[in-house]
Amino acid sequence: MAAPGMATKAAADERRADSADVALLLEGTFPYVAGGVSSWVNQIIRGFPDLRFAVIFIGSRSSDYGAIKYALPDNVVHLENHYLHDYIDSTVIEELPGDRGLFDKVDRMHEYFRAPLSHPESAGLFTELSDQLGSSLDHRQFLYSGEAWEFIRKMYRRFCTDPSFVDYFWTVRTMHTPIWVLSGIADRLLPVRVFHTISTGYAGFLGALCKRRHGKPLILSEHGIYTKERKIDLFSAQWIADNRTVFQRDTTEVSYFRQMWIRFFEALGRACYDASDSIIALYETNRLRQVADGADPARTRNIPNGINLPAFAALRPLRPAATPPVLCLIGRVVPIKDVKTFVRAMRTVVNRLPEAEAWIAGPEDEDKSYAEECHNLVEGLGLTGKVKFLGFQKLPNLLPKIGLVVLSSISEALPLVLLEGYAAGVPAVSTDVGSCRQLIYGLDEEDKALGASGRVVGIADPQGLAEAAIELLSDQDKWNAAARAGMARVEKYYAQDRMFASYREVYESALSTPPSGSPEAAPATACPHRD
Amino acid sequence: MAGIGFELRKLLSKESYASLFQAYAYAGIISSGPWILSIVGIMVIGLLSVTVVVPAYQVVQFQVSVTYIMVTSLVLTGTVQLAFTRFIADRLYEKKDGLVLPNFNGLMLIVMAVSGVLGMAAVLLLFPQESDAYRILLLSAFVIMCCIWVATLFLSGMKQYKEIVWLFALGYAITVVAALVLRKGGLEGLLLGFVIGHFVLLTGMITLTLRNYPSDRFIAFDFVRSGAMYPTLMVTGLFYNLGVWADKLLFWYFPDTGQDVIGPLRASLIYDLPVFLAYLAIIPGMAVFLVRIETDFVEYFHKFYNSVREGGSLDFIEQMRDEMVFTIRQALFEIIKIQSIAVLVVFVAGPTLLRLAGISELYLSLLYVDVVAAGLQVVLLGLLNIFFYLDKRAYVMFLTALFLILNLGLTAVTLQLGAAFYGYGFAVALLITVFVAMRLLEHKLARLEYETFMLQ
Repeated sequence: MAAPGMATKAAADERRADSADVALLLEGTFPYVAGGVSSWVNQIIRGFPDLRFAVIFIGSRSSDYGAIKYALPDNVVHLENHYLHDYIDSTVIEELPGDRGLFDKVDRMHEYFRAPLSHPESAGLFTELSDQLGSSLDHRQFLYSGEAWEFIRKMYRRFCTDPSFVDYFWTVRTMHTPIWVLSGIADRLLPVRVFHTISTGYAGFLGALCKRRHGKPLILSEHGIYTKERKIDLFSAQWIADNRTVFQRDTTEVSYFRQMWIRFFEALGRACYDASDSIIALYETNRLRQVADGADPARTRNIPNGINLPAFAALRPLRPAATPPVLCLIGRVVPIKDVKTFVRAMRTVVNRLPEAEAWIAGPEDEDKSYAEECHNLVEGLGLTGKVKFLGFQKLPNLLPKIGLVVLSSISEALPLVLLEGYAAGVPAVSTDVGSCRQLIYGLDEEDKALGASGRVVGIADPQGLAEAAIELLSDQDKWNAAARAGMARVEKYYAQDRMFASYREVYESALSTPPSGSPEAAPATACPHRD
Repeated sequence: MAGIGFELRKLLSKESYASLFQAYAYAGIISSGPWILSIVGIMVIGLLSVTVVVPAYQVVQFQVSVTYIMVTSLVLTGTVQLAFTRFIADRLYEKKDGLVLPNFNGLMLIVMAVSGVLGMAAVLLLFPQESDAYRILLLSAFVIMCCIWVATLFLSGMKQYKEIVWLFALGYAITVVAALVLRKGGLEGLLLGFVIGHFVLLTGMITLTLRNYPSDRFIAFDFVRSGAMYPTLMVTGLFYNLGVWADKLLFWYFPDTGQDVIGPLRASLIYDLPVFLAYLAIIPGMAVFLVRIETDFVEYFHKFYNSVREGGSLDFIEQMRDEMVFTIRQALFEIIKIQSIAVLVVFVAGPTLLRLAGISELYLSLLYVDVVAAGLQVVLLGLLNIFFYLDKRAYVMFLTALFLILNLGLTAVTLQLGAAFYGYGFAVALLITVFVAMRLLEHKLARLEYETFMLQ
């Protein structure tokens, strides 16, 4: 139902197969958007040439995406694109009574999503109701039935703190429409053996529906935490109405429609966590976050990103005998990397180690005014000649010439530069964000026993950063120990082969799982062409 | 009669009995002015002519001819009455004011042609024994009358209510004077007077229109494009006018109750006068209805839709819905109260009136029934108007069709049952239609928000 008959540039990219092994459910990433997650998807597909992948791309509007960004590997046998906001409502307005009993269940399902822990008895309602999305709870029932109207009225009275009923009404309508679009996609999906979604959100929700419809296992790999990222977007979104007057508005209280959207994505995430057989995080902090958001701990695990170890290990012999007193920040010059803290720290470092230098290796064109501020700061602190902006650099040229990889970021997930530095024999100093603590001090006892592969410092703490760098650079033994720990850690836990092995294990266990869960375990008849 | 509410509210805002009376009088004149003037004008011509020069049968022939012109022109233009009014309203809403006049001219031309052809066929085929002068005058009067209704609906659409009443007053003054001057010419003289007066009336209306609504184009036919006018409204206009006249037509052509008057035209001495008297008795009801609907109801109607559009709370939206229901109930109660007084007056004065008209007092009960029925017709009109506000065209079409069928069927039955039942057909048809309309309205209003939000 995604825009029937719409000829889009993306339609030309589509591939068709009658069946596939793994359906990748991708929301706004591969193959139309370049970035970390997309590269990872590309890596996975190429890492499993023996598996046939179907790519189900979910986007906002077809006009939001340009040409395909990756050469599609041959084992992508199927590619279909769906755009949630291009959806054209083709239902005919008609008066319907609606089923009171079903809407009571919908009510209880919403109670569950609002407070899962206090309504454990309603946990199964989502799966039960999702079976009816094509029949007694189809889109027409939601749009036109008298019971749906009563339900919306009831919920508005019970919860809504924004005065505007019309905004509430249309927020409810707009928000829920993708549910039926996704349900239609799930119904028409080609037969596959495993569903693999790379986020919660719409794609994860589609995964939950697919699992229920087709009875095949669902794998969830989360890089960031979708719900958290959505929340950050929603807090700053301008398109959400807030009709409270000055007197009604309590600045500590988020506008009701924002809360609704946040809860909606939380519910999508919850449905996905509940349905997933295997929930994979990149690192421990995120795994804990998933558990806090409702994921069953028994089904969660970490599979960190892996790097191409031999390529970087080959750089080790190129290093000079004496450690170069060079601190290098590898990354774009943007506020999230907090380059200024790094520059400020250099003032202290240079005071104590006059021969030390700081290199900033990354493009400066993304936030030009920020880059200029950084340059000014360097000048202001009298560090000209000591702090060098190198622009984009190829890592194999860079890594042998530096003594420390530095990250002063205020947010990171699992930064590959730390691992690449380790592999090339360079320890790191990083702020305590994302997985950095895990990468530097180790996760479990065995990992910790490898020793610290650098130092972790606080966010926006130039003094702490400087002290840590000086400690490593001025004591060759400590530096050597850290470098050894880094090499050991990356070899043991973060090699690409290890990531592939972990995923092979996940795929194989899923592929051998007998069909379960669905009343109609046999895959729906293949639909080789949409609409 | 949208837009009249503003003037009425202005009058009512003074909050004195005098201004209240003024508002009701204004509403009464606006709503009933034209047809009171026409009924009274024709009656005056008759009364002043009958004993002096013209033989009584010629006066009756004149009055019946004029009545037929009224009926046939109303039924014919009834097909475009609502549909074209809506067409104009939609264009004005789109701020395409320039389209209004050319299309009015286009409609006028079409109505002239159609009424000319039909009228020509009628006078050629149906009046072979009458004089050529009579036939030409009859045709002219018919075409002019059709044009007057079109001009009236245009000026109403432009909210020129006062001007309409003034023009009608002027036209009928001239009609009466001209008819009396020319009464020596007998039937043809009276009819010529009628034609002259109405020609002046039409000319006045067209002058007013052309002067006040200039446009860069003179004529256009946008309204005949498919989809420009709602077919349901065309059918509704036809059904309503046919429905209103159905019982009269049956009485005219039923052998026991009708008499030949001229050519194929027949009249019913016993039925016509009580009915026309009854229509005069509903003026207060019309006035009340207009004031209540156009002020109170419309106020809450707009508040309702504004709160829906502009983000009112559900409580406020529902409260406005309840206020709408309340004002409708109030309006209906007031119509009933006022009409009850009118009915009582007729009950008291009825015998005298009939004696004056030379009708047997046996038909007194017919007069009583007709007064009640006419009151119900006001109520029905009010309900239909509310359905138009709610844009339920299909409901109105259904109700007018129901009314037409019931009026035809029940009147035919009462004609068979005998004189004691005369008038009940019309009254019961209205009673049933009003009852159905109220049930529909109740149902509709109970789920107004559901339909407004979910089904649009």
